[in-house]
Amino acid sequence: MKRPVQTLLLTLTGIGLLHAALFTDTYLRYVKAGLRPLLITSGVVLLLLGLAAAAARSGPEHAAADDDQEHSHEHGHDHSGAPRIAWLLFLPAISLLFYAPPALGAYTAARSNAKPVGVQKGFAPLPATSPLPLTLTDFTKRVQQDPGRAIRTRLVQLTGFVSPAENGDGWYLTRIIFTCCAADSQTVKIRVYGTEAPPANTWLAVTGTWHPRGTLGTKTAQAALDARDAHPVAQPVNAYTDDLPLTPS
Amino acid sequence: MEKTDELVGVAEGVTVVPVGTPSVRRIRPWPLAAALVIALGAVAVLALVGTQGLNRPAVQAWRTVCLAITVQALPFLLLGTALSGAINAFVPADLFTRVLPKRPALAVPVAGAAGAVLPGCECASVPVAHSLIRRGVTPAAAFAFLLSAPAINPVVLTATAVAFPGDPAMVAARLLASLATAAVMGWLWLWLGKEKWLRPVLRHRHSGHRHGRSRLHEFRLGFQHDFLHAGGFLVLGAMAAATFNVAVPRSVLDAFSGSPWLSVLFLAGLAVLLAVCSEADAFVAASLSGFSPVARLAFMVVGPMVDLKLIALQAGTFGRAFAWRFSTATTLVAVAASVLIGGALL
Repeated sequence: MKRPVQTLLLTLTGIGLLHAALFTDTYLRYVKAGLRPLLITSGVVLLLLGLAAAAARSGPEHAAADDDQEHSHEHGHDHSGAPRIAWLLFLPAISLLFYAPPALGAYTAARSNAKPVGVQKGFAPLPATSPLPLTLTDFTKRVQQDPGRAIRTRLVQLTGFVSPAENGDGWYLTRIIFTCCAADSQTVKIRVYGTEAPPANTWLAVTGTWHPRGTLGTKTAQAALDARDAHPVAQPVNAYTDDLPLTPS
Repeated sequence: MEKTDELVGVAEGVTVVPVGTPSVRRIRPWPLAAALVIALGAVAVLALVGTQGLNRPAVQAWRTVCLAITVQALPFLLLGTALSGAINAFVPADLFTRVLPKRPALAVPVAGAAGAVLPGCECASVPVAHSLIRRGVTPAAAFAFLLSAPAINPVVLTATAVAFPGDPAMVAARLLASLATAAVMGWLWLWLGKEKWLRPVLRHRHSGHRHGRSRLHEFRLGFQHDFLHAGGFLVLGAMAAATFNVAVPRSVLDAFSGSPWLSVLFLAGLAVLLAVCSEADAFVAASLSGFSPVARLAFMVVGPMVDLKLIALQAGTFGRAFAWRFSTATTLVAVAASVLIGGALL
């Protein structure tokens, strides 16, 4: 790989990282929010490295040194160039800048196992609001673990995206959650009955009541909803969480 | 003989010879062959899923996961290569030989432990170990360092602690099992190793500060080279991992996770195939939640020491005769260490 290409690659990768983490929220499609300072720092460092390489090349003193190295492969200095494997780095850089893939969606959700829901011991009384906004995880816990069965008659509102069900009627309201990056994603799903399946990946707020199947408050209860109403909502900026929407929708 | 010489020439020379020189194009180093295989695999996947190309859900998911692994690991990689560049440029050349004990059997564990304070990606540790040997460090100690440095440095251990929250035993087990493997491999080399497996170094190489050059300039060049080099392998690893992540149904994993013995061997083999950078492999291990802790430990102990890109790098640097013997032995020792130490701690 020639020096000007290396300079271009470093600069492009730096700009790509800055574009994804500083100027836009694209990085949230791939990694957790906590990585943002590191990504911005990396972008700046790479950009500086690229600029330094460019400056060293145009400067008279170092240009000679660089040229000397480029032609001195008989001496085989370790650091004079980059191996051709480095060309692969152009892929993420260009992808981040011009062709960023979307957040994981229905395709991944349909092929992954459901995330095991943690065990919760005590359940506080539910707020009186109706419909009651709940996260998919909380709804699953209430259905499968709450011995007080407080959820039984309540009208709840859940938010997530649509993923198709493999068999039977109904579809899944879905959230994909990860701890670090999209490679370790896990899925939370609630089966929804009572409405036609909307197109996959549509973000919806669904209002409804528990779909009675199994014994409420035990593992046999199905985390499912009889939908009364479903209306589209905007996709959250950070889609990889199972949080309540900040504004009532 | 001629062939092996060429291979060494490629590993060292390809970094300097401008791309496109006909004499180099003839000889393809292993990493490129691997890249080719992956590219072909990607094309095959594209052909299988249809002509819609890059916007098919499967391909989109693959791109997302691939980019996620790369973006996630880039800051760690940058940190590691910056440090190794700084050490290369600013640490005195004879420091390592002065600090190490004279007796090889003692130098091995010391060099293994020294891996902890010299953070670097596994790709960077191969040239460092090579230059250590050239500076008179006994090969056994250099190999112990080569194995331990990517596995037990603070960056990797921190990443492990982050990936396994509330499970400090996993971090301790990884540290101990990696150290044990590195030391055992060093002693094994003292006992059974033969110098003739190592390629005589044909070219005069320098890594480290040279007189008449600005240290800052050396640092920048080393940093840049190491980053681009390791970054390329990172993307390759991310592609392989993403292919695995998207293409293999989770039920296949579950089939192996049931049996404790098979699962350890399966994840050890997976670590070799996936070639995930050691700074990121703890997160991959954490996501393999269906497997026993010992199997996941084996994944994290084998991964930084043996994987496809490392075998390629070692074959280029030390010779093929060395690389396959060393990698096979390391895998066996690492699995044994994981089972013993993981069995005791986890």
